[in-house]
Amino acid sequence: MQTHQYDVVIVGAGGAGMRAALESSTRVRTAVISKLYPTRSHTGAAQGGMCAALANVEEDNWEWHTFDTVKGGDYLVDQDAAEVMAKEAIDAVLDLEKMGLPFNRTPEGRIDQRRFGGHTRNHGEAAVRRSCYAADRTGHMILQTLYQQCVKNDVEFFNEFYVLDLLVDHDLATGDVPDGEEVNATGVVAYELATGEIHVFQAKAVVFATGGAGKIYKTTSNAHTLTGDGMALAYRRGIPLEDMEFFQFHPTGLAGLGILLSEAARGEGGILRNADGERFMERYAPTIKDLAPRDIVARSMANEVREGRGAGPNKDYVLLDLTHLEPAHIDAKLPDITEFARTYLGIEPYTEPVPVYPTAHYAMGGIPTNIEGEVLRNPTDVIKGLYAAGEVACVSVHGSNRLGTNSLLDINVFGKRAGRSAAAYAATASFVDLPPAAAEGVEADLETIRTRPDGERVADIRRDLQETMDANAQVFRTSESLTQALSDIKALRKRYEAVSVQDKTRTFNTDLLEAVELGFLLDIAETVVVGALNREESRGGHFREDFPDRDDSRFMQHTMAYRRPVAAGAADATVTGSDASFRRAETFDGYQVVLGAKPVTVTRYQPMERKY
Amino acid sequence: MTATVEAPAPEAGAVPSFQVTLRIRRFLPTDDAIPAFGEPFEAEPRWDEFTVDVHGTDRVLDALHKIKWEQDGSLTFRRSCAHGICGSDAMRINGRNRLACKTLLKDLDPGKPILVEPIKGLPVIKDLVVDMEPFFASYREIMPFLVTTGTEPSKERLQSPEQRERYDDTTKCILCAACTSSCPVFWTDGQYFGPAAIVNAHRFIFDSRDEGGTQRLEILNDKEGVWRCRTTFNCTEACPRGIEVTKAIQEVKRAMITRAF
Amino acid sequence: MSTIADPKAPRASRPGPSRRTTRGNFELYGWVFMRASGVLLVVLIFGHLFVNLIAGEGISAIDFGFVAGKWASPFWQVWDLLMLWLAMLHGTNGVRTIINDYAEKDGTRMVLKLALYAATVVVIVLGTLVIFTFDPCPPNSPADLLPSFCTA
Repeated sequence: MQTHQYDVVIVGAGGAGMRAALESSTRVRTAVISKLYPTRSHTGAAQGGMCAALANVEEDNWEWHTFDTVKGGDYLVDQDAAEVMAKEAIDAVLDLEKMGLPFNRTPEGRIDQRRFGGHTRNHGEAAVRRSCYAADRTGHMILQTLYQQCVKNDVEFFNEFYVLDLLVDHDLATGDVPDGEEVNATGVVAYELATGEIHVFQAKAVVFATGGAGKIYKTTSNAHTLTGDGMALAYRRGIPLEDMEFFQFHPTGLAGLGILLSEAARGEGGILRNADGERFMERYAPTIKDLAPRDIVARSMANEVREGRGAGPNKDYVLLDLTHLEPAHIDAKLPDITEFARTYLGIEPYTEPVPVYPTAHYAMGGIPTNIEGEVLRNPTDVIKGLYAAGEVACVSVHGSNRLGTNSLLDINVFGKRAGRSAAAYAATASFVDLPPAAAEGVEADLETIRTRPDGERVADIRRDLQETMDANAQVFRTSESLTQALSDIKALRKRYEAVSVQDKTRTFNTDLLEAVELGFLLDIAETVVVGALNREESRGGHFREDFPDRDDSRFMQHTMAYRRPVAAGAADATVTGSDASFRRAETFDGYQVVLGAKPVTVTRYQPMERKY
Repeated sequence: MTATVEAPAPEAGAVPSFQVTLRIRRFLPTDDAIPAFGEPFEAEPRWDEFTVDVHGTDRVLDALHKIKWEQDGSLTFRRSCAHGICGSDAMRINGRNRLACKTLLKDLDPGKPILVEPIKGLPVIKDLVVDMEPFFASYREIMPFLVTTGTEPSKERLQSPEQRERYDDTTKCILCAACTSSCPVFWTDGQYFGPAAIVNAHRFIFDSRDEGGTQRLEILNDKEGVWRCRTTFNCTEACPRGIEVTKAIQEVKRAMITRAF
Repeated sequence: MSTIADPKAPRASRPGPSRRTTRGNFELYGWVFMRASGVLLVVLIFGHLFVNLIAGEGISAIDFGFVAGKWASPFWQVWDLLMLWLAMLHGTNGVRTIINDYAEKDGTRMVLKLALYAATVVVIVLGTLVIFTFDPCPPNSPADLLPSFCTA
């Protein structure tokens, strides 16, 4: 075992992690721990663009962008955070340009902008050109550019190190830390993949930027490595997870594969059609049609298929039609996604429509933070020295449904803020002692799994989890389906206790890591399902067929899911903010998932009906 | 694409499935900690054969996953995004460097075993996993970042669409190492900067906003720099992003010559 | 938790390229030389072949007298000297790059290159000597073998 000491430790080297590192490493001693080489992160898969009201091509302002974000998130957005994001978006884009990001250009040499789902002029009048882009590889360019800057600034990376525990001085999962008491993050425990060695990092500040958890679903645009590690680590330490029931399904995944085709395809003029060739989005969103927010388009597509208007031999997908666009235009603006269609489906998008179906894409929820990136342990108290940014965090700028391009914005704006806050805190704070035998738990858990001679296969449990999530907690949800998912997860948890791996070595044991990641996936899935069961309304990405309307009187609040020990006696454990609609506790083997609420910050936009 | 275009229906049964055999080069170094359960030490690489059932739209990565998840959990390889964006899973498939997630099994000859090996020229850590450090070290050496002088403009730097187009090809690089590890010059001693580093230098040398071109040309004007390129075009053929790598290298050479004379 | 490892060294550094910089224009000039000498050699060699094998009576005219006659002229001396030097340097540089590409050990590479350079020097020196010290009319030679301008 090795021990290291840094002022700031950043976990994750995707967009948010590296953006934070650029802020923090110039101020204090910073280490970035990443389970992948930084350029492998899934930020690179983002395609369409990054919205900012630059007004380079038409009139625009950040206030409209704020409104679109709030409305897109079905009013569950914390409006102070959305304002910060829309306002700082402009500088975020300009920062990236100055770092060298090769944006597409207007004839005048300015950054070009294009239309994107849900982004409108003057509070919903018409689609606006707001998304700054680099062909359909904007995420790739952002990831590369940030890594280039990290190389320039000599940022210290620990590549292929898996963080497996968050160290805090008071373990909140015990349930006996009263509100208001000071809780400090003290470091992390990491596992070096190449050697199997354990490393303990002591830090004044820890920034989580570990990304999403799309692998709880079977059909997903997410990487195999997006297993919700950061969320689950925080959750296991008793830190709540916010709004986990809101998961975004991207409308245009390649049918059957889930590989993402950017919304930019529709921004550039692509049209969704059903088996009859009908442009069905005209019925669901008469004003902005195919450029409606993702939750609406995904639901509309699923509905077309359900009502028998799906295309293909099994009538189980719809078609994305680009055939009316000039091939030269497609090549210039959408080169990568047309290549995906060719490579993976053998479809020529110049002449044939591409089969698409919604694919699990983005977790709106995550570790609750305030606008400075500080992690909250209940609706009001922050954990000192703990920060989160990016998909792992829930600020919440995305509310119940994220608008396209706002994730690239989120990582840049809040990655920067989290990095800056962490560095500022670390510059004045002193190290807090690590708990005794800090790495013991991780070591024991790994050894148990690694040396268990025989048992359940990781892949079997994971497949069953993904299948039940796809079947029961996807675009359409009901009380029955979610109850089914919940009991499946409980059964899978039991099976997971007997999980074993075949690779017993210590060198580069990915088998072992997959087992650990499966544990994280189960944690995330349980918070998604419990939150979804409790939220008896339909809002944004969460659609309950048994409660098809939004219910602001009961549910205009964020869900907070806490892991707590089973309370003594018959009573359920309680948490702060358990008002009537959010009083629910679900008992698992040895612990409970206890829900609470957190109020939504509303500044200028009162909830209205959401129509496009 | 090949002529056989299956209906991309997700339901099993609608897609014809077939059997493939993969011959995979395995390696576990001896200086590992002592293996548990009395497993034997391994020193020499060996070839293992696996046969799996696959669908028409499956890629080599899907077959590797099937093997890892259903047959031999110890099979080790890197992967992440699974659609050719992250650059984790470059490997040598039937003697050619490719991304496992972009190579459809039906495009290979399924009648014969498919040979899968780690990329060449980098030290193998385990099975298909190689040590990427030397590769990234070369990348870091060519100053892969925008170099500018003077005060920053308050808004963006201007760049015409034509100037932007000039270096578009080399911005596509995902650092997968397929090109560098396909280069015969790199195989011999690994001292050569390699195509990927030159591609990333090219991306900045031809960026109208950059002012570090001279320094980068200086760095690559090295015995181990661009002059070791023998234009075998292996790199261009290997690039999963379709970058004209050899052309980029030649353009860097030309820039050096016009600078020197 | 008392020992804090050197944070800059998470582990023994793995073997990188550990490249000594060998920057400079040598390889650049070498690269240009190969192209330029190649073009020039095409002219020189085909000129040489044409004059020797085709022009006039063709191949049947070649004998000691023919060669001696050519080398009596400074034009052909310079022509052949250029051909000798350029061809040798071009070839040597080519073989040098091949050695660089294919010799895996530093020792092998050095030995092969030393042999190559020695051979080059010997051939160039000998060749140059021959061209400049050549006597077209060696004494006591049968007159019918000598070029016409030798007055024995």
